Amino acid sequence: MLIKYNKINQLQQASSRNTVYIFSFLFFYIISLPASAIEVDALIQHIDELWRGNTSRANMTMTVKTRRYQRTMTMEAWSRGSEYSLVVIRQPIKDKGIATLKVKENIWNYLPKINRVTKVPSSMMSGSWMGSHFTNDDLVKESTFKDDYTSNISFEGTREGKKIYEITSIPKADAAVVWGKVVTIMEQKNLSPLYALYYDEEGVLIRTMTFDQPRKIDKRIVPMRLTLQPEDKPEESTIFIYKDIEFEVPLKEGFFSLQNLQRRK
Amino acid sequence: MTTAQASSLQHSTQALAVTRFPILLFVAWRNIWRNPIRSSLTISALASGLIMVILYASMLEGMTRQLVHFATDISTSHMQVHRQAFIDDQDLYATLPWSYMQQLKQDFPAVKVSPRLYAAGLASSTTTSTGVLIKAVAPKTEPDVTQMLQHVRHGELNLGIADITENGFQRYNLVIGAQLAKNMKVNPGDELVLVTQAADGSIGNALYRIAAVLKPLEPNFDRMGVLMSIEAYQQLMYLQDGFHELAIKVDEMKELNAIQQSVTNRLDQLKKIKPLDELGGEAVVRNWRQLSPAVADMLEMSKAFVFIIGFIIISLASLGMLNTMLMAVHERTHEFGILLAIGMKRRWLLVMVLVESFFLALVSAVVGSLIGLVINDYFEKYGIDFSRSMPDGYDWAGLVFEPVMKGYLLPGDLLMACLMMIIVTMLASLIPSWRTVRLKPAEVMR
Repeated sequence: MLIKYNKINQLQQASSRNTVYIFSFLFFYIISLPASAIEVDALIQHIDELWRGNTSRANMTMTVKTRRYQRTMTMEAWSRGSEYSLVVIRQPIKDKGIATLKVKENIWNYLPKINRVTKVPSSMMSGSWMGSHFTNDDLVKESTFKDDYTSNISFEGTREGKKIYEITSIPKADAAVVWGKVVTIMEQKNLSPLYALYYDEEGVLIRTMTFDQPRKIDKRIVPMRLTLQPEDKPEESTIFIYKDIEFEVPLKEGFFSLQNLQRRK
Repeated sequence: MTTAQASSLQHSTQALAVTRFPILLFVAWRNIWRNPIRSSLTISALASGLIMVILYASMLEGMTRQLVHFATDISTSHMQVHRQAFIDDQDLYATLPWSYMQQLKQDFPAVKVSPRLYAAGLASSTTTSTGVLIKAVAPKTEPDVTQMLQHVRHGELNLGIADITENGFQRYNLVIGAQLAKNMKVNPGDELVLVTQAADGSIGNALYRIAAVLKPLEPNFDRMGVLMSIEAYQQLMYLQDGFHELAIKVDEMKELNAIQQSVTNRLDQLKKIKPLDELGGEAVVRNWRQLSPAVADMLEMSKAFVFIIGFIIISLASLGMLNTMLMAVHERTHEFGILLAIGMKRRWLLVMVLVESFFLALVSAVVGSLIGLVINDYFEKYGIDFSRSMPDGYDWAGLVFEPVMKGYLLPGDLLMACLMMIIVTMLASLIPSWRTVRLKPAEVMR
């Protein structure tokens, strides 16, 4: 009964979206599959584009807390699709102007102090990005998540008083990824993500990403705070706080070039 | 023959035993040279076996000496002090305060110390980037504890400031491992960019000039090692308050364990005066055997190796001896029969055959040792040179060997080889001598 109620509930929600969805959903409901593949893809796509849109420009702060130090950096970021992004550190003074350019699978860092651009080699992809708990690989793999993982809705219903979708993503056999399983939990009501849990190949939880402080930007509900918590170091974390995000800003491909990386100090 | 006569004869035999032994020795010696070719062949077989054992022992000892040399003098020195967290996972913050080093220097004037610091980073040349291991040493005190800085392949060793960049930053010299230089296609004089995460969390980055390329110290350093001065390291890493590693060199290797104990005790006292932070763990003093267990194991094993291989070689050679003596006994059965018939005691016959074997072994030992010593002398002086095919030497079990393999013969090894040969051949000659004891005079004289 409960399941049926949920499905009906979902149908009511889905009615606001286009009819193709409803039909496909109905179809899958009839042959009693747990969830629609199309639906999952749409949800993944939604999360993927949440902070990015087609093009975006954002101001944010990153606070890295470790056992030894805590430091906050202010940065400005631009993106175009999932393949191009540029992040420039504005503060503190010591790191001011350090920029990271990501084009497809490649990452370059620009270091203003020595006025050099260095490419991050594949052997260093698992290294920390700007001293945070994110790795360079996180930046690259984020854009290929859809292709690297097979996702399905593993749970839908009420948990902790919120109606949620739980999406379990398992890497495809040939995908070069570090995680054994990624579980994303998102609210049904506004499709805003709540948690992402990253497991290793043995099924041990390695880190948790928490999304909160949602704000409505261009009809989307975007969580403005992202907290990354490594499980083995409970006293450490990396917190991203978006101050503002603008979508659909005009950005040319040439903006994301090595020349531009050096030019904009 | 009456019983009285028999007993008096027995008595006289015993009395004569002492005087008869030299005659027996003389007869045995003459017996060997009744067939000089056969005996010479036996002697040469045994002697060459002995030479092989001597050279093998010498080679292994030479290798272990090289091992110890590499394990201590090149980069490790005799002892090292670290924090436990640094040993476990190279924790950047697991440093020992500089005051500890000053104290140890004061308290142990006989030993030499030199500090080191480590970090991981990203090195970029104009064309490539790769992950590297940054190692910082004190150029002034490092030569006291190791020969690391003399191990230059090409370029000139210099860890000072090379020049000032256009925006006012100092460009330090550094030296890098040979394999790394090859992989990155850089040469002395080229520029290298290092990017790393500094101790305060900021992005440490600086320009350097490659001053020299080092010969292999250890496989890891060779592949990804970058060596700089502690001063340059501190400017890159913002890590001022301590060091990761203290290399200690003692005067006399014999005192190593005693000094290790007293340094450990002293560190315990220092900890009471200036406590260490909890995260870094205890200060741990380890000697080179604990630091490179592969070498220590190799040393333990090499003695057993010499013994086992030596035993095999000598046993094979003593088969020749066995054959010779069996032939000699077989030829002389008639003669032995007569000797027994005229009243020679069987045990005297047995002793005579054993003495003959002993003489053969003794002559072989002398000849083998003499020739072995001469060859070994050459081996010690010039060694076997692989430098054409392996100019960097070779690494085995994480240790780098020089391309020239040189021997080193310990007098004890020589003595052991000779003793072993004599014992094995004597054991082998028990078979032919036992046959003489079982001879039946009536049968063999027919």
